[in-house]
Parts: sequence; C-alpha cells; structure tokens
Amino acid sequence: MSSRRFDPELDLTVERIIRAPRATVWRAWTDPERFAQWWLPAPTVCRVERLEVRPGGALVTQMSDDGARFVPHLDALILLADELERIVFTNALDSNWRPADPQPIAMTAEMTFADHSDGTDYRVVVRHGDPASRARHAELGFADGWGSVTKQLAAVAEAEAAR
Amino acid sequence: MAQYSAEVDGVFVALADPTRREVIRRLGRGPTSVGELATKSPMTLPSFMKHIRTLESNGLIRTVKVGRVRTCVLNRERLAVVDDWLAEQRRIWEDRTDRLERLVTEPLEES
Repeated sequence: MSSRRFDPELDLTVERIIRAPRATVWRAWTDPERFAQWWLPAPTVCRVERLEVRPGGALVTQMSDDGARFVPHLDALILLADELERIVFTNALDSNWRPADPQPIAMTAEMTFADHSDGTDYRVVVRHGDPASRARHAELGFADGWGSVTKQLAAVAEAEAAR
Repeated sequence: MAQYSAEVDGVFVALADPTRREVIRRLGRGPTSVGELATKSPMTLPSFMKHIRTLESNGLIRTVKVGRVRTCVLNRERLAVVDDWLAEQRRIWEDRTDRLERLVTEPLEES
C-alpha cells in the first residue's frame, strides 16, 4: 500500500473484494485482449494500442462509437509495475515520456492487488492534478450561483422522476 | 477524453456570460418561453436570441416551438459535465471496477 498523501479534494479511491484469484485479476489488467473488454463502457469499443506493464512502458488506448472510426482515449505512461501486486500509471507524461496536458484532468492511478480469503483485494487510488476547469470555474465567478442552479436542477429532476 | 474536453469547453463558453447564466438560473425553475425570458433582459430580442442560440448549440438548453411560442428547457445532463468533476471521475472508476469484476468472475469469460 501507498503511504503517499491522500487529498479528499482531489483524489479518489475504489476498494473492491473481487471473487477471483489474484492472478486472474492481474491478467485482466495486463492482457490487452482482456483489458479492452472492461476498460471502457459498452457500447464504446476500446482498442488497446500499447499495454507494456513495466516501468516506463506505454498504456495507449483508442475508442470508437461504431467500431470503425477510432479516436485517442488514453496516452499514458506506466510508472511502476510489481508483478501481481501493483501497477501505477500517469497521463501527465505520455507514452513517449513527453510532458502532456491531458483532458479532462491529469492523474496518477495506482492499482494494488492482494490476496483475500474471498479472492482478491483490489484497490485503486487516483490522484488528480488541480483541474483547469475548477480554476476557470472560480475565474468566471459563478461558483455560488452554480451551487443554487444545481440544487434547482436536482429539484426539477426529482419532481420529474416522481411524476 | 478529447471529446469530453471539447464538451466542457463548450459548456464553459456558453456559461461565460451573465445573460446566459441568468437564463440557466431561470430555467432551473422550469421551462420558460423565450418571450418571457427576454422581458427580464434589457437587450433587444435579436441580441437576446443570439444568447439563446449559443446555449442551444452547446447543448445546455433545448428549445421547442409550439405555435408561435418557443419554449426553452434546461438540459440537465449537459450541466452534469461540469457539476462535480471528482464525482464524475469516481463514477468512471467505480464502473470500470464493476466491469473488471464482471469479466473475471464470469466463468464463460475465463476459458
């Protein structure tokens, strides 16, 4: 596990006990064919261009709505890869090790895999850069108004749902 | 993600104007006709319509014309693009983990 600081304003975690052996979960992450099956939600089709699970390796995926025309999805760099234990990648550097300006936001994602009596203890920690959109949000000066709009919207949606 | 970025850009452009933000706030209370919205604004109707079209072309609102009345409706999904970026990222990773779990726990997938 990581001892790095977790910032609740910027970071997120997902923890899941998966009822499958650790090697199976690891293979779903590291085998391109399997990876493509879960990385993006259907009906979007994921194509794995490069998945080099080693430090300095590439993680490049493309996506398609129709299965014919593909557009870039992720161009990231694997920072760490400990066999069956941990994968860390970032999109702040691209697969050519060039500093990137990823959209919507720069992140470092850390996946850990551990044995558990029911299968695999799978954890994800994603650390984000400070999003440009937030800065712009404040810049535009409507953060307060925005909160009230969101509340109004929620009320409208709930009313509609209740009909 | 590039597409997502373009969407966010469009939403921010549409919202980077006080008249358009006022329209959004007003529509948050429910669908409203263009005529009614325009009476709250000091500008001419043609100028006001430009703002409505900007909001519409960026998907923040939809307009529906019934007879002589054009009614504006807020597009809530579009607003969610900038509502809470961290919640959005969390949802993406939760869903991703759901799919990973499904893949490795469905026997047929593990041939």
